[in-house]
Amino acid sequence: MSCILQTNQVTKIIEGREVVNNIDMHVRKGEIYGFLGPNGAGKTTVMKMITNLWKPTSGTIELFGEILTPNSYEVLKRMGSIIEFPTFYEHLSGEENLKLHCEYMGYHNQGSVGETLDLLHLREAGKKPVGKYSLGMKQRLGIARAILTKPELLILDEPTNGLDPAGMKQIRELFQMLCREYGITILISSHILSQVEDIADTIGVIHHGTMRQEISMKEIEERNTEYIQLSVLNTKKAVYVLSNYLKLKNFKIVDEQNIRIYDSEAETMKISKAMGDNEVEMTAIGRKSESLEEYFLKLTEEEKVC
Amino acid sequence: MLKLIKLEWKKNQIGKYCIYVLIAAGLLCVFIYSLAFLGIANDPDGKLDAAEGMEGISSSIEMFTSITFLIFTSVMLANFMIRAYKNKIMNVMFSYPIKRQKILASQMLAVWIFNVAALVLTKLCLYLCIFEGARHMTSSFVIDFHMGSGMFYVQLILKSVVTVTMGFISLFIGLTLKSSKAAVISSFLLIFLTQANIGDFSMRENGVVPAVIMAVSLGFAVMSVGGVQTKDLTY
Repeated sequence: MSCILQTNQVTKIIEGREVVNNIDMHVRKGEIYGFLGPNGAGKTTVMKMITNLWKPTSGTIELFGEILTPNSYEVLKRMGSIIEFPTFYEHLSGEENLKLHCEYMGYHNQGSVGETLDLLHLREAGKKPVGKYSLGMKQRLGIARAILTKPELLILDEPTNGLDPAGMKQIRELFQMLCREYGITILISSHILSQVEDIADTIGVIHHGTMRQEISMKEIEERNTEYIQLSVLNTKKAVYVLSNYLKLKNFKIVDEQNIRIYDSEAETMKISKAMGDNEVEMTAIGRKSESLEEYFLKLTEEEKVC
Repeated sequence: MLKLIKLEWKKNQIGKYCIYVLIAAGLLCVFIYSLAFLGIANDPDGKLDAAEGMEGISSSIEMFTSITFLIFTSVMLANFMIRAYKNKIMNVMFSYPIKRQKILASQMLAVWIFNVAALVLTKLCLYLCIFEGARHMTSSFVIDFHMGSGMFYVQLILKSVVTVTMGFISLFIGLTLKSSKAAVISSFLLIFLTQANIGDFSMRENGVVPAVIMAVSLGFAVMSVGGVQTKDLTY
């Protein structure tokens, strides 16, 4: 599949500080790309550069096959975005704000404002001034504005901030529908993995301004490493039993009470019995697989060790 | 461009500013009328107490309308532009497929056109008021204008254009300091600069000064828009 958005060695230096460093990102047409990273990792900076609000210090950004320059305006017609938090003319109603957006975008499709308000469950609130909206409603209206002109590419910076769990679920389903039915490519950033896990086709993990990994969800699922999680009261004793009685080598002490055993030959029954025989008090044992969250933490924790 | 200007008026509720202008024009009318015919600027002995060179009523009309509308222009420019930067509405504006210079120019023109028109109309109202009043009452000030002359209207329009254009100096200061207050305060300083007398010299009466002010103001307008294409939006 061809890339609709690609960044090539993009670096941004602000006041002598390297905020993002040599970012290579590849967003394919028709996919949902989850852009993950802890707060302050550089997600918003990258998104601001993609939307041309900020200019890269070095490197290039390709959008729809063209290099983005300060004079690239036509590409903006094909994009919808929310960067940081959506802002509006607070004295105007939601509907008026959306109509203004259509005027500026040169998009003339009667009924699209009403349809989009319906899609985001804002039909009634659409008549009220935005100043009276809750944070969640503003976020919904921001999403409505971003998708109003049915863009080919959506750039959404933490779009579910301020939404309740039901609202988050609804928005996630909406993104999936937009991607499936309208073929809209979506780049969505988040620091909450569970929000992206279910909908993303590809994820890119950014940490301290560098792209740690860009990987498809399918690949993550295939790579999923299974392990046995063992919870005990005394890890020292448990480690002694694992290595001397069960002759296991591939395990990791997670914290003072938990050990993860990656050895493929390890069996929960045998481990339980060995612990019992050696009077190591166990509180839990079970087979688990590495979630995206753990994968993400692994990628972002390496830095902490350094 | 016209469409962009109209959108600026629409989203910034230009009707609200029309009401403010009507109120200001009404108050100015009452004030100037009182100056001319009710003797509020007179000494107890009934003689006019005006500074030298201010004996004509047109000086008062020009000065008070200029002060009012220069401040008004600065407030509007601050609301249309500086506030848009500060509350991040400019992030949205710059995500539209429109040249950034064109967006900023439309905002500046929206304010400029409105204020030039408002100032010209307000001045005309005031002159008409005095003209009508002078037919029935005796003015403390010298009636030094002739509404039948074409030059009167040319001067009225040119002076209005210079006054409103000066607002771009305040805008540049406000944008540089990222502060609406700075824009408004600088408009007060501009008033002192252009309306004050230094000994016998007054910028008000000097013919070259308006041309220089106009050129400087336009220079500041260009500087407010320049480089916006390549600069990061960091408000």
